[in-house]
Amino acid sequence: MSDTGTPLPVFDRDSRPWWEAVARHELTMQVCERCGRRRWPPRALCNGCGSFSWRWIAASGQGTVASWIVNRHPFFPGMEVPSVVVMVRLDDADDVVVPGGWGGQPDGSGLRIGLPVQVGYEENADGVTLLVWRPAD
Amino acid sequence: MTLRDRAAIVGVGWTEYSKNSGVSTLALALRAIAAALEDAGLALGDADGVACHRVGDSAPAFAVAQSLGIRDLRFHVDQFGGGSNSAGVVGLAAMAVATGVADCVVCWRAINARSEHRMGGTGRAPLVEGEFQFQAPYGFATPPQQFAMYTRAYLDAYAVPPEALGQVAIAQRAWAGQNERAVMRTPITLEDYLASRWIVEPFRLLDCCLETDAAVALVVTSADRAADLRRVPVLVSGAVFGGGHTLYSNGRQDLTISAAAEMAPRLFASAGVGPSDIDVLELYDAFTPLVLMQLEDYGFCAKGEAAGLVASGATGPGGGLPVNTHGGHLSEGYVHGLNHVAEAVSQLRGDAGPRQIVGAEVALSTGQPGYVAGTSSALVLRRAG
Repeated sequence: MSDTGTPLPVFDRDSRPWWEAVARHELTMQVCERCGRRRWPPRALCNGCGSFSWRWIAASGQGTVASWIVNRHPFFPGMEVPSVVVMVRLDDADDVVVPGGWGGQPDGSGLRIGLPVQVGYEENADGVTLLVWRPAD
Repeated sequence: MTLRDRAAIVGVGWTEYSKNSGVSTLALALRAIAAALEDAGLALGDADGVACHRVGDSAPAFAVAQSLGIRDLRFHVDQFGGGSNSAGVVGLAAMAVATGVADCVVCWRAINARSEHRMGGTGRAPLVEGEFQFQAPYGFATPPQQFAMYTRAYLDAYAVPPEALGQVAIAQRAWAGQNERAVMRTPITLEDYLASRWIVEPFRLLDCCLETDAAVALVVTSADRAADLRRVPVLVSGAVFGGGHTLYSNGRQDLTISAAAEMAPRLFASAGVGPSDIDVLELYDAFTPLVLMQLEDYGFCAKGEAAGLVASGATGPGGGLPVNTHGGHLSEGYVHGLNHVAEAVSQLRGDAGPRQIVGAEVALSTGQPGYVAGTSSALVLRRAG
């Protein structure tokens, strides 16, 4: 828990490079060097072909809204309500959904499942860079 | 070899359900276990195995074993994880006694979820390791938020109106009115539901389970030994585990189908029954939509049709497909799914008083259907004889 009350991520040895890329305002994912399967969250093993061989690639940063919630109850100290959290299905891989903040209306108006979105970045009060999704141009 | 009907639940025990038990979580567990063993006609020293699931507050298995005075512990499980495991823990106990690993296993869930340790946070550092590291920094970390995310996708995919969730809460409250143990017994209407405050859209307060101080315990032994005990045995006809997909699993393309859809064929085949043989359903209900999703994914109706089924009154008192006859987590209280197994036992033994389903012989009792951490479990139980 941070000073602001927002939970902080605990990076692990699989995920640290991904978070470091986010801090550089880059959205990345892994690609299997054997079967080409694109995957996230970061894992050592391809769950498609079983290969341990992979590399990082840049994701397009484009996706569609898979779902969203509107927080009405302040679940953590200092949490602003209403506030939206979205899950975005990446254009790069239709079985990868990534959570993030929402750059649109805090009450969720204008959101719909399937809405095209693009990634953005915002540093929170604790200095952690997080994803903020916005409607695509 | 099959597990079918080789193990039995022979005793069940409850503590009072309250907002403040005033005692330790371990004390709650021991009270429920002692009541379950007494119900079975067994002594504390007859138990040689212990099994529980836990996340948040819990009475640890080793502490329970020591407290019961078990001198030669033959089986122990302290399964990390939430309601996904509530049916599974009983399944594990059944496997242990059916294979001779142990003779008599006590299963329990004890929790001071209201007075001491509230589930998932509010004001307490939530779990941010593993997959939660990717969502918790957005303040997305508690159970209602997690289930609300799936629910939005479900409601949208099948054009389910928000009132359908309310009908689940209304039906279960009606059942709870016939259950003296239930924490919430006052009937509610659709107007009450729609007037209840938003927690996290699309959930209102009445979509959410209660937070309860309580413990429930079960005694599991072999079917052979069960035949000599004082209560009619409730046989474990089938026990399955399943799932493996999470919100991030890289393989799950449809957020609206639960792990139950994969488990149901295995469960019914292992038990030798089908959905039409089930007399009473005790479905894990941390939040209202789980009932709709499980009715569909366990094959009681087609995808998208559960809302109409519940609205028709089928799942409530007097209906043809009784669901959560104790009131469930929404109205009886939150004992992390083990109270659902206990209610199935009550119904199959004919102990359920005013809410008894006449002639109930076969029950389905499920764990959380895989929306958090991806795993799930379920049981088919059958009255012996």
